[in-house]
Order: sequence, then structure tokens, then C-alpha cells
Amino acid sequence: MTVALPEQRFPGRVLQVTLPAGPGGTPVTVGGQNGLPYAPEGDRPNRPAVGMEVRSGAEELPPSLEAAIGSLAGDPVALARRCVSGWGARFLFLSLTGCHPDSGGRSVADGAALVRELLDAVPAPVIVGGCGDEEVDARLFPAVAEAAARPVFLSYAEEKNYRLVAGAALAYGHGLVSWSPIDINMAKQINLLLADLGFPPERVVMDPLTGGLGYGLEYTCSIVERIRLAGLSGDGMLARPVLCQLGDAWKAREASDASEASWGDVGLRGRRWEETTGLACLAAGADLLVCRHPENVATLSGAAWR
Amino acid sequence: MHENLFASCIQGARAVLGLARTTLADAAGRRGKDAPLSYPGTAYELPVAFGLTDISVSTLAGAGNVLDLAESLVRDGGTAENALDAGAATLLAAEVLGALSHEKGNPYPPPAVGFVPDSILRKLGIFMVDGSVPGVAVVVGKASDPAVAASMVRGFQEIGLLVFLAGDVVSQLDAEGVKLGEEFKTFPLGPLPAVIHAVNFAVRAGLTFGGIGRGQSAAMLAYLANRVKAFVCALGPPDAVALAVAAGAMKAGLTVIADQPVPEIPGLLLSRPAGEEMARAGMEARGIKVKMVKVPIPIAFGPAFEGERIRKADTHVEFGGGRSMAYELVRSAPPEEVRDREIEVVGPDIPGLPAGTALPLGIEVRVAGARMQRDFESVLERRIHRIVNYGEGTMHVAQRDTTWIRIAAEAVEKGFALADLGMMLYAKMHADFENIVDKVSVRISTREEDVLAGVAGARAVYAERDARARTLTDDAVEEFYSCTLCQSFAPNHVCIVSPERLGLCGAINWLDGKAGYEITPTGPNRPVAKGAVLDPVKGAFEGINAFVRENSRNTVHEMNLYSIMEAPMTSCGCFECILAVIPEANGVMVVNREFAGQETPCGMGFSSLAGSVGGGVQTPGFMGVGKHYLLSRKFLGAEGGLARVVWMTREMKEHLGEALRERAAEIGLPGLIDQIADETVAKTPEALVSHLAKVGHPALGLPPLL
Repeated sequence: MTVALPEQRFPGRVLQVTLPAGPGGTPVTVGGQNGLPYAPEGDRPNRPAVGMEVRSGAEELPPSLEAAIGSLAGDPVALARRCVSGWGARFLFLSLTGCHPDSGGRSVADGAALVRELLDAVPAPVIVGGCGDEEVDARLFPAVAEAAARPVFLSYAEEKNYRLVAGAALAYGHGLVSWSPIDINMAKQINLLLADLGFPPERVVMDPLTGGLGYGLEYTCSIVERIRLAGLSGDGMLARPVLCQLGDAWKAREASDASEASWGDVGLRGRRWEETTGLACLAAGADLLVCRHPENVATLSGAAWR
Repeated sequence: MHENLFASCIQGARAVLGLARTTLADAAGRRGKDAPLSYPGTAYELPVAFGLTDISVSTLAGAGNVLDLAESLVRDGGTAENALDAGAATLLAAEVLGALSHEKGNPYPPPAVGFVPDSILRKLGIFMVDGSVPGVAVVVGKASDPAVAASMVRGFQEIGLLVFLAGDVVSQLDAEGVKLGEEFKTFPLGPLPAVIHAVNFAVRAGLTFGGIGRGQSAAMLAYLANRVKAFVCALGPPDAVALAVAAGAMKAGLTVIADQPVPEIPGLLLSRPAGEEMARAGMEARGIKVKMVKVPIPIAFGPAFEGERIRKADTHVEFGGGRSMAYELVRSAPPEEVRDREIEVVGPDIPGLPAGTALPLGIEVRVAGARMQRDFESVLERRIHRIVNYGEGTMHVAQRDTTWIRIAAEAVEKGFALADLGMMLYAKMHADFENIVDKVSVRISTREEDVLAGVAGARAVYAERDARARTLTDDAVEEFYSCTLCQSFAPNHVCIVSPERLGLCGAINWLDGKAGYEITPTGPNRPVAKGAVLDPVKGAFEGINAFVRENSRNTVHEMNLYSIMEAPMTSCGCFECILAVIPEANGVMVVNREFAGQETPCGMGFSSLAGSVGGGVQTPGFMGVGKHYLLSRKFLGAEGGLARVVWMTREMKEHLGEALRERAAEIGLPGLIDQIADETVAKTPEALVSHLAKVGHPALGLPPLL
């Protein structure tokens, strides 16, 4: 006797979104699936893409990252080149942390100049993140949008600033990362608000805020799963590609504390902390991962099945 | 009387069209019909043609096609429709003339800038989307009093409007010393015909920021009418050409305000004297609101100070609280009766009063807004409590005619006066109710006779409101409201808030839900049509079930509003109190959140019970509710109502007080409240049952719950 395996079919499909590349680069297309990750049913035309974060501000790197990227830390453009050509990052996430008053306080014009320089140097798709200071970012996004000679994605638009960031993106033809603080209602609401403004949905990816392993990852996984289930069940406002920024994994003491010898080699530990965070996000349904450790590009890409 | 006006528009359109024809012919004769034609610095060819027609223009010949189309729009007959179409034709012809004049760049002498390139549009457009540029003022013509025009334009600059100038007013304002240029967001375009560059700027805003493609004229006109909040101030006697251009502006949905006597067309053509009145009319007609970034008062202001208590020793002045009469009232009024930002203080003010003074106080807030409803008055009025508490050194207790406000000595030292209190209310009402409130004025009185007269009127309003609240019943309305605010932590929980069952958190009633939806249509409160009534006693409705099913992601299939035993409403975790069935007593017990004891007849205290009630799951026999639901006529309708309550904490009884007794009397059980046990009477089911038997509690005689 044969038993027919139950097959789960969803009425919805995740919107396909492309992060455009420069001349000679390869654009990254994600989304388009009508099934859950790693499940046998449904088609998933695009596999999740793994990119790397490049920060413009000075910071004290955890030992694991210090060993891997420390020599390039002061030179974002050189680091960006290496991320793409050396380590296989399919896209870059440039965080303009250097413009934050607490980590260098570089001028908005400096930030915009760095964007221009990096886009010239690397043809890969680029997402540009603000510095996190509300007042500075309000000036930074318009300046970056104007400076970027080819389309990028601006990260991020949230309830408080979406009009400004969306305006900047519309003015110069860029895309947006819509951000919400681990809250499915707010994740939906920000997409609704962007839709009300007339922002083209095929230029939006969602960032539901990623907590690192041991520091909120389970909340993120739950929200990503629910966003995906809601989207596949027919909620168009949530049927959007999801981006997970793994940077938070490095904030865990376990990822960076060399003083606890009993926890094993801190170099390996840090890398694995980020990797594990990333694997969980993939399982939850993430379409775009942003990591910092070069070796994780390969491991996470290897785990990102279609 | 409009007929002459319309006829002039059509005549003006013909004049502009004729001029465009001859100028184009002249250029073609000089340069050949295939010579290129474009504005400098734009990706949108001739933007007006790009946005409103499907004609592509890159040469003089292409411009000829635009004029042919324009010509076809000009018809004889002084009707409104003909005039507006003639206006559209005028804009197309003026656009061709404008482009022809830019053959060698900006044709006008400084300070005029001519065509405004895309690069500036993109920069400024961001702030139009953002709202920090709240609107656009186009000032054209010749001012009869340049000083008045100058002060009007300075006013526009102060509130951040984008300003375009065309005509003699450019040199007049320049002479008056008005700052002109990009950094002041004020563009002197050139002589009157250069006003077309304001139009092509607006059209390009739609193309760039509105996602509108070439030739989507309907979408473009809608964008110009709804998103670009622009108005035209027309100064001086208009000629036919000016009227034709004005008709074009009106075709695009802009309001034109003339300082000349013109026959008005509501919303489109108004006549007001130049200056403040003209500015006000334009901003009102286009719904331009000025956002206040910081509330200009001498004390700190924000949620951080909400919990601050002001003790008697620190109080400089107080109002109400038993020592004097004080009341507060929010009333809605037609827009023409409310002057926005008018803050009036009558009677003795705080500065100069000796410490320890108690004064009478009347606060009357008047609001107007296209989406304001009388029902929202109480929602706004309750917000006064929070707003006053936001001040550092101001405290507010209670509401209506029991209100009690204290001002700390610390605030008075900083110069706090009653006008500042008015400003706090003004600014926050605008900020918190942005979508429903367009105008707010505040009147504060401390004069005894004023306050006494005012409170009598206010009491009449309160009584009227209470009467209205009594007529608001579940049976009388067609829609309930959802609240999904708590889905962030209880993903499948959906609250249904009806007039007779407030949210289980106690914070949201039906009117709040209604107002919440108007304020944030994308937020957690949405109207839910009841649909067919499946069971009026249990509170089963087809529409509610469908909504709950969808929004609980198919986990809760049906929900009865008035039952605890059969498909009860789920709970997030925010409930004010918990109802739990005591099978032995054939009734329910009620325990409130503040109750710290662990011993109740069901064997669990509030916190243990809460663990099994929350999380969005249906647990028949257990339910989280708002305290005031106990007073509702729909309370546990399926199980027999208030008569089912057999045990209630003493605190709950005291909290609900007289209202609970009244409700018991209403259902013919005046002694019920004393028959209900509390923690001093019974802590176990056995003790409870023997108490109920002793006092003859009606629950024992009701049909069995299980």
C-alpha cells in the first residue's frame, strides 16, 4: 500500500527583487519562490545570496575578524574589492558608520564621496546603510542618493524616516530596505506606508532586525518564518524578500571574548557564531544574508540551496 | 457671471497659442524644423508635454505636434469645461514657448533663473515627499503694495514652502530685500510667462516621485491635484493670458487666489486680499499643515515627564482638585469657525501669582478637520490628560469637570504661563491626530464668572455624550473594530472591540478603535463588518468570524463575543482581569491584575492564571477581559450575565463601586454585589459554595455551566 505524502501548496509567491550591479558586475536577484526554504514542495527560482558588510568607521574588531580582515580595516574600498573578488560576496553592504558622531563623525560629504569611490571600484550590487544617528542620517541619505552614480539600495527606511529615505530613493532611482524592530505588524505597516507613497515594490527588501545567536535570534527566526508564511498565504505586503544582517552576532561575548579559554579558540568561535546565526536565518526563510567573516561567505552560500 | 471669465480664458489661450505658432515658425525658419528643442538639464524633454500627452518632443517639428494637440483643446463657448481645457492648451503652448526661449540657456536677466533643472528638483523633491517642505506657493503678477507681498513671501519662507515667483513681483520683492534663490527655496522664474517653469517643475515631481510614466495624463492630473500641495497667488488685475494660465493651474487641481474681485469657484478660484488672508486661504484650500518641530514653551516637554507627580510643597498654582472649579472640553466646529493656532488666555495668568494660589480654570479646545467626527471629541479630550503631564513641572489628574492641574514652582520660575499650556495642547493635538485634525484653537479662562458659565455648557455636552454612549450598542452599529496591536508577541490573537465590549486591556473602546483607524488607516485598528448575526445571545457574527479566521492565520475559526464557555475571545496577555469558571459553584470568579494573593477559589492567583489564558489561544472556561466589561449588558450573555459572578476580589468590587451596584439593580438583583464572595469570605470552592448557598446567590439556580 502506498501513502500519498501531504504536499503543502501556497497561494502566494514572494516578489522577485533585483539588486542592480555596475558595468561588468552580476546583479543579484532574490525572491520569486512559492514555497518554504528547504522544503520539497514549491519552486524557488533564486537561491539566497550572501553579501559582506564593509564599515567606514574605525572600530575595535573581535579577534576572529581582526585576523581575517584587520589588515584592510582602515580601507573600505580595498576591503570591498577583496570581499567581492577574493571571498565571493555577491553584494556589498556599506555601513557608513564613520559618519556617526561617536565613531569619527566624518562629514556627510565624506560619506557620499566614499560611496562614489566604492561604486567606481566594485561592480557588485551595493546596499548603503546609514550611520544610525537620526539627525546625521537625515542628511546622509539624500547626499548618498545624489552621489551614487548607479542604483543602490538605501538601508533603511523605518516608520520615523521613511518619507525622507523613500524620497531620496525616488529622486535618484534607488531601492530601499524597509526596516522594522522584530515585529510583524510593523514590518507590514512600513511596506504599506511605502506603497502609499507610490514606492515601487520591486525595489524593496525587508529587514526585520536580526538578533545574534543567544541574543534574540529566536525572535528573529520566528518573525521571518511568520513573514514568509503570511506572504505565501497571500499577504502581498509581506511577500517580499527578507534581508538578515548578521552583524549582531559579533556583539555576543561568546563571539569575541578571548579571556574564556574553556570556550575554545576565539577565532573559530567568532566565525562559527556568525555562521550559526546565518544558518538559522536561512532556515527561517532569509533571502539575503550580510556577514562579516570572509570564510562564512562560502559556508553560508554552500548552505543556501535553491 | 462666470461666463465672461471663461470666455477670457479661452481668448487668452488663443493668444498664447498664436504666439507659440509664430515663434516656432520663426525658429524653424532660422534653424530648420529638425533642429533640436529641449530645456537645459532635464531628462523629460518638454515636461508638460511629456507628462500630459504621448507626444515625444526632441525637435521643433515635435513641438509643432504639441501645438496641434493644444489647438484641438481650444473650443468656443464660455463653459467651465471649455475654459479648463483651454487652460491645458495654454500650458502646452507656454511650455513650447518656454523651451524655445531657452535655446541659449536662461534668457532672463538676474535674479530670474528661468527653467529649474532636474538636479534641483530631485534635491527639493525629497523634502516634499518627506513633508519638511509642506507645500508650494506660486506668486505671480504685480503687487499693488510690494511690502505686503514681501511679508507674505517671507511668511512662506518661514514655514518652509517652496516658492516660485513670476512677473513684476520678482523685481518688486528683490527691491524689498526678500532673499531669493535655491537656499531659500524661492525661485524667481522671470516675467509672467515664465510661470510655466513652476508648472513643469510640478509635472516633473510627478514623473520622478510619483512613479508616473510618459503620457499618463489622468495619473498626472491626480498627482498634481492630490500630492503636490500647490496654490497660486495672483496679484494685480489679470489679463486674458494670465486668466488662461490660471485656468491651466486649475485644470491641474491647483487653487488660484486672486487679490482682485473675481467670481469665486469653491476650492479652485478664490478672491482674498494679498497678505496673511491670501496665504491662509491657499494653505487651507490645499490642506497644507505646518509641522511644529519643537513646541516653543519654556519647560521641557515629552513622555519622559509623564509620570512626574507634583507635591503640594512644590506647587505654585493649582486649578481644580476641590480647591476651585476646573473643567476641560474639546469641541469640533466647522473649519471656518476655528482659527488655527489661536491661543486665547482670559483672566489672571500664572506669572505674578503668589505661591499657593488656587484659581478656577476652563480649558476649551476647538478643532476642525475634514475627517473629524463629533464622536472623536471624547477621544481627543482624554488626551489632554497625557499632554499636560508631558510638561516638566505640570501635572494633570482626572478629567472633564473633575480635572485637577498643578503647576510646579520650578516651571513658573522658567516663565511658564497659561499660553504655554495652550501651546502644548495645540501642538500635540496636531501631532497626535494629524489625520483628523486640520485646525486647533485653545481658549483658557481663569475668570470665575467665565468658568462657571463655561462649566454649565460643558456639563451639557458631557451629558449629551453620555446619552450618545448609551445609544451606542452592539446591536445599533454595523461595524466593530479590530485591535491587532499585540500580535507582536501574541501572533494569532485578535481583539474585537464592540461598543459594549471594550478591549481586554481596558485601554481601547469602540470609539478609540474608530478614531485609531482614522488616524492610522494602516494601523492595528480596522473596521470589521459584523455581517450576518449567527447567534445574538452568544455574540456570533459571520463577518467577525471571517475576520478573526484570516487574522489569526487560520488558528481561531470562530469567536463568540459574549460567551466564556463556547469559542470565547482569545487573550493576548494584557487583560485587566481574568474570568475563570468555578464548576462547583456553577459560576465564574473575577480576579484583577493588581491582586497579589495566590489563593482564589480556582486554586490559582492572577499570575498563574494569566499563564494559561494569554497567548492567543481559546481556553473555554477562562477569559481575559477589561474591568468595565463587567458592567456591560452583553457581559457573558450566553451564560446568564452578571448573575454568574460568584467571586470577585474586594479591590474589583471597590473599583467598580456604584456602577456595579447599579448594573445589578438594572437586572433585578439589587443584592447581588453583597452576595458575591471575595477573598475575605472564601478561598476554596467548598467555602465558596457554602457561602453562596447561605446567601442564596442566583448562580446556583442557573442552568449548569458544564
